[in-house]
Amino acid sequence: MSNAATTRGGAVRPTRSPLWIVERGILALLTVVVFAGFAIHSPVMATNANIANILVQTSYLAIFAAAQALVIMTRGFDLSLGSAVSTVSILCALTMTTLAAQGAGVSAVLAGLVVALAAGGAIGGLNGFFVAWGGINPFIVTLGSMNILLTLSTTISGGFPVAPLPEAFRALAYAEPAGIPLSVLCAALALVGLQIALSRTVFGRAVLLIGSNARATIMGGMAYRFHLVSAYVVCSALVGLGAFLMTARTGSGEPNLGGNLTLETIAAAVLGGIRLRGGQGDMLAPLLGAVFVTVLSNGMNLAGIDGYLQGVFLGLVIIAALSLDRLRSKASA
Amino acid sequence: MLLQATGISKIYPGVTALDRIDFDLKAGEVHVLFGENGAGKSTMIGILSGLRSPDSGSLAVNDRPVRNLDPQKAREMGIAAVFQEFSLVPSLSVLDNIFLGREITRFGRIDRRAMARRARVVLDELGYDIPLHAMVAGLSRAHMQMVEIAKALIVDACVLILDEPTASLTDSEADQLLAVVHRLRERGVGIIYVSHRLREIRALADRITVLRSGTLVGTITGVDATEERLVEMMTGRKIDALFPEMRHRPKEVGLAVEGLSLADGRLTDIALTVRRGEAVGIAGLVGCGKSEVGRAVFGVERLSAGRVTVGGRAVRPRSPRQMLREGLCYFPSDRNAEGLALERPIVESCSMAALDLPHLGGSGWLRRSAENARVAEAMKRLALRPPAITAPVASLSGGNRQKVMLGRGLLRDLDVYIFDEPTVGIDVGAKVEVYRFIADLVEAGAAVLIISSELPEILALSNRIYVMHEGRIVRELEGKDATEANVLTGFFGREERAHAPAAHAAGAVEVRAWA
Repeated sequence: MSNAATTRGGAVRPTRSPLWIVERGILALLTVVVFAGFAIHSPVMATNANIANILVQTSYLAIFAAAQALVIMTRGFDLSLGSAVSTVSILCALTMTTLAAQGAGVSAVLAGLVVALAAGGAIGGLNGFFVAWGGINPFIVTLGSMNILLTLSTTISGGFPVAPLPEAFRALAYAEPAGIPLSVLCAALALVGLQIALSRTVFGRAVLLIGSNARATIMGGMAYRFHLVSAYVVCSALVGLGAFLMTARTGSGEPNLGGNLTLETIAAAVLGGIRLRGGQGDMLAPLLGAVFVTVLSNGMNLAGIDGYLQGVFLGLVIIAALSLDRLRSKASA
Repeated sequence: MLLQATGISKIYPGVTALDRIDFDLKAGEVHVLFGENGAGKSTMIGILSGLRSPDSGSLAVNDRPVRNLDPQKAREMGIAAVFQEFSLVPSLSVLDNIFLGREITRFGRIDRRAMARRARVVLDELGYDIPLHAMVAGLSRAHMQMVEIAKALIVDACVLILDEPTASLTDSEADQLLAVVHRLRERGVGIIYVSHRLREIRALADRITVLRSGTLVGTITGVDATEERLVEMMTGRKIDALFPEMRHRPKEVGLAVEGLSLADGRLTDIALTVRRGEAVGIAGLVGCGKSEVGRAVFGVERLSAGRVTVGGRAVRPRSPRQMLREGLCYFPSDRNAEGLALERPIVESCSMAALDLPHLGGSGWLRRSAENARVAEAMKRLALRPPAITAPVASLSGGNRQKVMLGRGLLRDLDVYIFDEPTVGIDVGAKVEVYRFIADLVEAGAAVLIISSELPEILALSNRIYVMHEGRIVRELEGKDATEANVLTGFFGREERAHAPAAHAAGAVEVRAWA
C-alpha cells in the first residue's frame, strides 16, 4: 500500500539505497522462514483458520506499530503506548457498561468509540505538550505517563475486567464488512491514511523534518510545536482506536490489555526499517514488522512455548532490532 | 620522504572520489592540499590518517611501505590529525579530552597533575588560554577547535594533518595557530594543511597540491602560487573577480531597529536601518553580538526592549514563522545545525520556509509538483551542483548546502534578507555565486543585512557598515570612511582608544586581509 501511495503523482523521494530494499527483503524472507519453521513443527500453523487469525492479530499490532512509528519519526518515543491501551480499554468499557445499563445499545458503542478516541487524543496531547513546549526528552515524558496511566487503569477498574459490554459492541470483533474483518479494514485505512499524510501533507513533511533537524524546522518557519504535538495526538488517538477494537475482541475492559505492546510496537517499527534517530520512514515498515512479530508469537503459542519464555524471545528480538538500528546509523554515517 | 602516497584511488558507489593521486610530504615542510569542496581532500587525508583504506595505490611512511594503515597504526607512527568534525566528548573537561585514551598514569592511577603540566606546556606553546578544567560542552567553537589541536599535539607527531583548522577561529586566534604551524615546521614536523583561505596558503605553503573532482591537477611551490593561478587550478575556469559589481540605490527603509536589547544582556540598545536597494554590513569580532542582532530580529532571541519595523510595519519579533510572514528572512551561520535537514531530500530543506504559502502547502496538502518546480528553479538560479534536488542534503558539499538554504529566499516574497556568515566553510567558486546572489537581491530592491567575520566580504559588499563591540554598535561607517582600518579600530571598542592597544592588534590582523 505504501508503494502505491508514494509513487503516485511523480513524487520526489530520497533515492532509495539498495540497503533499504535488501533490508525489507531480508525481513520478508525471515518472516517466511519463521512461519515455515513453526509450520513444520506444528502443522496447525499453516491452516486457513490460523492464517486468518494471524491476519487479524497483525492488524491490531499494525495499528499500534504505525502509531509508534509516527512518533519515532519525529525522533520521539512513546513508552506509554501499552498502558494507554489499558486505560482507554477501561474508560471506553466503563462508558459502554454505564450507558448499556440505562438501555442504550448502538449509541453506547458510539459513545465508547468517542471516549476511546478522545481519551487517546488527550493522552497524546499531554505527552506532546511536555515534549514540544516543555522541551523534555520524550523518553522521560512517556515513561512518566506510562506509570501514571498504569496506576489510573488499575485504580479505576479496581484491577478487575470491566463487563458486561453491549452485545452490539462485542459483535464488532466478528464484523466483516465486505468480507474483510473490521480490524483489518481499520488497520489498512490507518496505514494508508498515515502514508498519505506522510508523503502528501505539510503535517507529514513536518514530522519527518522535525525528526531530521528540529532546530531547522523552527528556523525555517514551520509550526514546529503544533506539528510535534499533532504527531503525539494522532499517535495516541490511533492507539485509542486500536484499544477500542481490542476491547471488543476480549469482550471486556482489561486493566492490563496493553501488556507487552509498547515493546512489540517498537520492535515492529524498528525491524520494519524505522530509524530510531528519526527523520525517515514510511508505513510499510510497521506493517512488515507487525507481521513478523505476530507470526513469531503465534508460532510460539502453537508450539506450546511457555508465556514467560516468549517474553525472553521478544526481548531478544527487540535487542536484535536495536542492534540493527545501530548498524544502519553507522552504515549511513 | 616522511610520507609518500602513490597512485591512490578510492571509489565509492557511483563516484570516483580519488583517481590515482600521488602525494608526498617532506620533513619540515607545509604541504597544502587545496581544492573545492568535494574535490577529494577529505578522502585523501582520511586515507593518510588511516581512517579510510584506499582501493588501490601504496603508502610509505619514512620510506617504509605501510599496508592496511588504521588510525591506531597511524598514531603509533606519529601521524596526528585534526579534522573539521570535532572528536571531543562534550561532558568531559578540556584536560580529559586532550588526554582521552592516552592518560598519563602513575601507579595505575590517572595522574592529573602530570597531565595538567604537559597540557599547559602545549597550550602555552599554542598561545591558547583555555581553562583546563572547563567542560568542553560550555566552550565556543573556536575554543573547541583549539582543544582539538592541542589534543593532536600532545603526542610528539612527525606528521600533522590540519583540516581547515582556522575555519572557526577569529583572526587573532588564527594568527596564533599559523605561528604554531611555523614553529612546528622548524622543528621538522611535516604538515599537511587543508584550507580554502588563500591568504593562509600564501603565508604558509612550501608546496601546494591542487585536487579537482578526485583528480590531481598539479603540485606547485608556494612561491609560484598566485591567487589567480590557484583559483584557476581549483575551478578549472578563470574567475575574474571574487566580488561582483553591485550598485546600491538606497530607497525607503526596509528594516529599522531602535533601542533593541536582549533579556540576557548580550545586546544593548542596538539601532540600525537598512534601506531597500542597499546592503549593509555588520562587522565585529566573534562574540561581539553581531549574530545576535540577526537572530533577535528574526524572533529567535528574547528581547527585553526595542522597536523593529519591517517594510514600514512595526513588528514584535516572536518567531521565525511570524517574521517570514512579515517579509524578513534570516539565514543562520551554522547551516548544518540550524538550517538543513541533512538526511532529507534537498527540496524539503529548501521549501520548508514557504510551505505555508497557498500555492505550496497552505491548505495542509503539499502541492508537490509546484514545490519541485519552484525549488528546481531556485536551485538553477543558484547553480546547485549537481542539480538533482531529490538527493539528500548530506550528499552535498558545504557550498552547495549553503545554496540550498539560501534558495529559501527565492521561494517567497521577502523585503529583508539577513545573511549570517554567508560564506563560512564554502569554496571560492561557491562564494562567487553567493556574492552574486546577494548583489542580485540588492539590485532587485531588497534590503540586505550582511553579518560577517570575513572583513573583505563586508568591505566589498556593503553600502554602509556597522561595527559592533561587546553587544553594542560602536561605529557606523559610510562611503570613504568605510575602510579596513576604521572597521578594525572599531573592533576593539571606542574610537578614542584606537591608537593604543587597538592599533597594535589591528596591525596583527591587517596583514591577514585578502589581497
